[in-house]
Amino acid sequence: MADYVAVSGERLGAADVDAFIVGLTLLGSGGGGEADAYRHLLSAALSEGPIELGDPAEFGDAPVVAIGMLGGTRMLTEKLPSGQEIPRALAALTRWTGVEPAALMPLEAAGLNGTLVAASAAQLGLPLLDADLMGRALPRMDQLSRAVSGGPITPFAMSEPTGQTLLIDAATPYAVEHIARSFVAHSGGWAGTASAPMPASEVPRDACLGSLGRALRLGRAHRELPGKPPPELVAAALGGELLGVGRAADISRQASTPFGRASITVLGGIAGRGPVLRLEAENEYLLVLRDGVPVASCPDLICVLDRRTATPIAVDSLRPGDDLVVLVLPGPPWWRASPERLRHVDPRAFGLGCDAVLLPAQAGDRAGTAPGVPA
Amino acid sequence: MTDGIGLAALLEHPDWAEVALLAGPRRTDPPVRGVLAVPDVLADPTGLAGQLLAVVLSAPRADWHLDALLRRADAGGAAAVLLPGITPLQPASRGLAERIGLPVLGAPDPLAAMLAATRLIHEPDRVVADLVTRTAATCADAGQGTDALIADLGKLWRRPVWLLDAAGQVVAGPESAGPGPGGPGPGDPESGGTESSGPGSSGHNGTGSGNAGRHNARSGGSGYGNAGPGSDDGLLERQLGARALGARLAAAVPPGVPAEVAAIIAAMGVAAESVGQRLAEQRLTVERDARLRMALLAEIAQSGGELSHGARRRAIDAGWQIEGWHVGIRIDVPGAVDPVAIRPEVLRAVEAAHLRAVVVEQGSGWGAWSTFEHAPTPAQLQRHASAARRAQWLLRSSLPTSMGVGRAHHGVPGLVRTLSEAGDAARLATGRSTSGHYVHVDRMGLGQMLLAWTRTDTFLPAARSLLEPLEGQPGELLLTLTAFLDAESSLTETAAVLGVHRNTVAARITRVRELLAVDLADPDERLALHLACRSVVFHQ
Repeated sequence: MADYVAVSGERLGAADVDAFIVGLTLLGSGGGGEADAYRHLLSAALSEGPIELGDPAEFGDAPVVAIGMLGGTRMLTEKLPSGQEIPRALAALTRWTGVEPAALMPLEAAGLNGTLVAASAAQLGLPLLDADLMGRALPRMDQLSRAVSGGPITPFAMSEPTGQTLLIDAATPYAVEHIARSFVAHSGGWAGTASAPMPASEVPRDACLGSLGRALRLGRAHRELPGKPPPELVAAALGGELLGVGRAADISRQASTPFGRASITVLGGIAGRGPVLRLEAENEYLLVLRDGVPVASCPDLICVLDRRTATPIAVDSLRPGDDLVVLVLPGPPWWRASPERLRHVDPRAFGLGCDAVLLPAQAGDRAGTAPGVPA
Repeated sequence: MTDGIGLAALLEHPDWAEVALLAGPRRTDPPVRGVLAVPDVLADPTGLAGQLLAVVLSAPRADWHLDALLRRADAGGAAAVLLPGITPLQPASRGLAERIGLPVLGAPDPLAAMLAATRLIHEPDRVVADLVTRTAATCADAGQGTDALIADLGKLWRRPVWLLDAAGQVVAGPESAGPGPGGPGPGDPESGGTESSGPGSSGHNGTGSGNAGRHNARSGGSGYGNAGPGSDDGLLERQLGARALGARLAAAVPPGVPAEVAAIIAAMGVAAESVGQRLAEQRLTVERDARLRMALLAEIAQSGGELSHGARRRAIDAGWQIEGWHVGIRIDVPGAVDPVAIRPEVLRAVEAAHLRAVVVEQGSGWGAWSTFEHAPTPAQLQRHASAARRAQWLLRSSLPTSMGVGRAHHGVPGLVRTLSEAGDAARLATGRSTSGHYVHVDRMGLGQMLLAWTRTDTFLPAARSLLEPLEGQPGELLLTLTAFLDAESSLTETAAVLGVHRNTVAARITRVRELLAVDLADPDERLALHLACRSVVFHQ
């Protein structure tokens, strides 16, 4: 169904834009920014023909660069992109390293970054690999799979809308995270980024494969849903598990963490007598408690959908009174392949003091998409 | 005690006054068998069944671990969870508590609440010993009089405490929440012990049968059934002994906390002795003082103007001014009323009416007099008469009194004379409902003799036919007219006599004029009407 498949060889055409956006939003798990922001850019880029989601195996040792945007995704609506952020960041990186990228992939195959990278690849005429460094939306640079694997993510170039460009080299992932955040905070609020080129042969080991293809298939499955779909049907169609339905009774936001914490109470069931769902969220939905028991957590994809239309709702768009369906979809297999990887993205990585609660491993996870993991 | 204490009972206990229910069902009343303390919400305690799980250090309401702890507490069978602080829960935690039916409590000092609960559950003997000791100390130290002791006991026991007479009427103790049927039912979750419906003294059927509206909170109280003498659901009573003539000490104690009930029963045993003794002493003092007063007054009455040196001395000791001008007042009551016991009420009424008078028990009523240094002016007498009338009005609200007021006379013989006049007037006042059973001797005299004539059979039919149009009319027109004429056509005075507004009187008199078609300004017609009124009213 809509699970991760190593590399699908899917083609992304103009007709797929809507489905692709919904799929990327689902991978956003409540975060990742509004994929919709680049809808028109992507539609325009794809009008000249579909692009193929490439297989890294076909690129040998050719240099692949992961690109994306970083900063406040809401800032995009105030500080409009010039369209040159990614090209300028890539140019800076090329100038510093002397390596021309042979292919692109997203830092994060979710939300805004998914559409941005597809549009950029079409714009620059570079191949797009069906892989990324997160497999879903994650908030921090030290949560890049390349960084967790021990690979370098610097030199790291970033360029903000007015053209100010910054290149960071020889920095740890944590340092990159801090410097990058300071830069966007003191410039335009967001910036296009390009991180160190990596040989395509290392992509299967250091990146999450098949994320873009999965977004496309999730989006297509979502498109096939009838109007007012029963929650069970939505869960089944998206390959996930239903956690509960109900209304957002309360949203308590606290500024206690760098990204701000929110606790969402969903009360529902028949006549409000169903279980009490409590969602803990930062940029993304991180943990779900049902009647006080943790039932789902990151890195699995906790998705909150509008009950009537099944449209995914982001953390910062959620309002009290919204009628919701809460689902969990399997997270990227790359992260769950070892405890060492999981440590970087489980609830404790977000200060939630709770072990990861994941869906059972999908058949074929290890064989298909998690190579390079010590047995 | 191994059955534990109901949570509702604990919440009602004074030791837990600071503890608030933050979330969870009000209806269920789980027994609390023990207390288990953990430092914070991250704890994972075991052995929770029937326990109160107390988080003593910190429980941030925003932390999701709180939800997890509530769930674990419920799964482990905990009776309730106690959190530090009374900050409200977040909706998620509140919703969860309601859903799983787990009471969540908050206390500013959870450690103190926890220790109090432990003591009540596991160390009832200590609670009893502690309270008995302190009660004994209070009985020894409390201020003068029974009221002070009852108030001190109420403060010490932190429950309403009353002294009841044999009929179950409140004699001393808080008035707002008496033990009668009007009082709040202990253990009744609706009243919460804060609101009360009327003083308990309104409950004439006493406490024995006055518990119809009281919620039975017996569920958690094992061992309460044999609680002690006169115990009732929520109301503990203790006879004061033979000397006290059936008086009882009563305390409203919800039955849910056996340790508290046992402690107060034991403490009542100690206190009853002390209260009984004080009552006996008090009664003795009152009676002795009354005897002295009555004897002195009798001696004055018989002295014929010449007082012995001893009597003079005793009058000064009693604070009586026997020289000067006296205006006597006589207050009569039916024979069933004990003038010695009711004297405080008379004193209260006299004081409330700003009437400066000495009140002495005398026969079936009281003799009283006010003393003026110089011969009182008419204005002074008028003020005095008004004050006396006001005192009578106040007394009539609770006692069927009649009051007579004498004229001002000088010296010891004058005192005897004015009291005698007041006595005559009071006897006459007994039958004078139109004047509020109040007669001033100044307004009596020859007229009274003439009036007697109008009460004959020949006059009556004529009077009846004259006043017939007033019959069956609303508004007590006959009485109003009589009072109006008695009061020299003064609307204000009539209103005061009848206890209604002067506009009401004015309206009624206007209607009387229309109905009877008489001119009240005509002296002849007014006289005829006045006589007719007196005659008809007398025969009614």
